[in-house]
Amino acid sequence: MKIDATKPLEYGSEENSNKIFGFWIFLGAEIALFSTLFTVYFVLVNRYATGPNGSEIFELTGVLVETFLLLTSSFTIGLAIHSMRLGLKKPMMIFFTLTLLMGLGFLGIEIMEFFTYVHEGASLSTSAFTSSLFILLGTHGAHVAFGLLWGTSILIQVKRQGFTLATANKSFIFSLYWHFLDVVWIFIFSFVYLKGLM
Amino acid sequence: MMKQLFPIRHVMGYLSSLILSALAVTALLDIPFAAKMAILTVTAIIQASLQLFVFMHISETADTKKELYLNIAYALFVGLVTIFGSMYIFVWGWYS
Repeated sequence: MKIDATKPLEYGSEENSNKIFGFWIFLGAEIALFSTLFTVYFVLVNRYATGPNGSEIFELTGVLVETFLLLTSSFTIGLAIHSMRLGLKKPMMIFFTLTLLMGLGFLGIEIMEFFTYVHEGASLSTSAFTSSLFILLGTHGAHVAFGLLWGTSILIQVKRQGFTLATANKSFIFSLYWHFLDVVWIFIFSFVYLKGLM
Repeated sequence: MMKQLFPIRHVMGYLSSLILSALAVTALLDIPFAAKMAILTVTAIIQASLQLFVFMHISETADTKKELYLNIAYALFVGLVTIFGSMYIFVWGWYS
């Protein structure tokens, strides 16, 4: 395969460039997906029936920790790709591992949060508000959970094979995915939690 | 070595994202509703652009740059029409 040395390795072949371009198109579809879920939430946020509303169940501390973890993990995956472009395998793997650990921490806090909500009488079927809330948060959380499995498998491949056209391409595409999840979280943080606590 | 591993562009991007999150929390203070929504909207949009341009390097792929911008702009258009169109009908009640 022809490797174009003027570009970073992840763009090194036509196939690689096409894969990255294709992933951006997928992210466009993801924007549409999350927009519909935000729509449902915004329309139904005041339909909490006899159940609790947002300001009664949301806890700022947990949400701030989640935000910090996700923002920092987005930073470290960026650093991982930067190290990868410098050809530094060990720092790249360390940053990548940190990213996944923070993702795991985020997911742990979110699951605990869901337990608390249900314990406080806000389960999936309590009201239109809680249904739309859990679907929005759950879809984002499921993306993070999938990202952990996907990222771990890429990390193993990088460890075994080093930086090749394939592993560099996969790592870069994973970084796009992870940054995108961070973008979605920013909107959840602002327009679900902070707005709900207002 | 540290300088090499932590490029200033990324560090500044990260610090900005933390500051913007902290700024967003000020929407919980006792200020007019319009000001709260303005704070949330502005900080969220800057944060999202930061991720897109600093960390996702959307502008670095010279050969497909135009198509990428078009794709993301179109997705945002579809998303915003869905969100605000639905709010217009179901929340703000244009029919009443």
